[in-house]
Amino acid sequence: MLTSLHVEGDSLFHRLTTRVKLAILLIASILAFLTQSPVLLGLGLLVAGAFYFTLGLTVREGLRRLRPVLVTIALLAAVNLIVQPPLDVLVAVLRILALVLLAATVTATTTISAFMEEITRLLLPVERLGLVRAADVALALGLVLRFVPDIFNRYSEIREAHLARGLKPKWKTLVGPLIILTLKDADAIATAIDARGLRRGKRG
Amino acid sequence: MTTRDIVLVALFTAIIIVLGLIPPITLGFIPVPITAQSMGVMLAGCIIGAKRGAASYALLVLMVAIGLPVLAGGKGGLAILAGPTAGYIFGWIVGAFVTGLIAERIVGPATGEAKQFAGFFIASVVGGIGVVYGFGIPWLSYVTGTPFGAALAGNLAFIPGDLVKAAIATLAARAVLAGYPLLPRSA
Repeated sequence: MLTSLHVEGDSLFHRLTTRVKLAILLIASILAFLTQSPVLLGLGLLVAGAFYFTLGLTVREGLRRLRPVLVTIALLAAVNLIVQPPLDVLVAVLRILALVLLAATVTATTTISAFMEEITRLLLPVERLGLVRAADVALALGLVLRFVPDIFNRYSEIREAHLARGLKPKWKTLVGPLIILTLKDADAIATAIDARGLRRGKRG
Repeated sequence: MTTRDIVLVALFTAIIIVLGLIPPITLGFIPVPITAQSMGVMLAGCIIGAKRGAASYALLVLMVAIGLPVLAGGKGGLAILAGPTAGYIFGWIVGAFVTGLIAERIVGPATGEAKQFAGFFIASVVGGIGVVYGFGIPWLSYVTGTPFGAALAGNLAFIPGDLVKAAIATLAARAVLAGYPLLPRSA
């Protein structure tokens, strides 16, 4: 149900470490907002596009993944053309397209576990401040992946219960029962986690 | 956070993801189809409170960032967080927090029923609509160069749907409060 957007391959971005990729993305986004030159931004878009379309996705699949973002950008550009000089619109579109393609490249070339490793490392300073424990973030993420299918099945059951009674399934009557039934399991799950000592005695 | 807090946060994130899988509905009087997922901001704040609600959304954004297609319509990945609608996504975290703060202040076990409904509705409108748009619209306007007024006007089309969501979130939050209270007390 929740399959990662990662794509197998051996392109340049596949070989870089997660930290370097995220740093490139951060630097690129700062640089992109510093320039107003359509030539520079156009070059940036070409480079980002070259990375994205050579990492092992077919052009069709590559575009399909980005469709919702591309539609939003096109719509906004159309609105902007009415109220702004065309050159300004071009600059904004080139900038956002380049960043979106670069970000999609990072996503497609990085596995979930590589991301989690990097996040755990990035959280270490925050952990020292006592704000959040990196291991807890990983635990919570694992719990989400484990329970989405269960909750979706529960949603389907509540929907069928509506239909069996001749009622039209509506948000108004679906959401309440779905939340109560789901959150009622929280105590049992928390007890099971503590019983297995997964948080090594930390309770606060 | 206790283990129970972490479990509640994770379960709520999972509920938000499932809300994204429910097909969007179209209200008779507005042209845009509305998804259930942004209602989660209101639900999270009103049901599990400010801190845990915000943590649920932070976890969701983290899942988007690492490339899981958890947003409505199977969207996900860093491209979304670099795109024109990223402001709304980050606004969800703060929105859930503000919704929770208001709900915690107004609603308690001894609160009358009418005040509970009013409290949840006000919290949902301020946190789930006001705060989320407060982040989303300026960012949209900044990255795409759309004048602020035009971006604001475009968002007005969503307001009727958002008010319906706030009403449904109020009903659901009140049902959970009656059946299985989780909202922390404050002040």
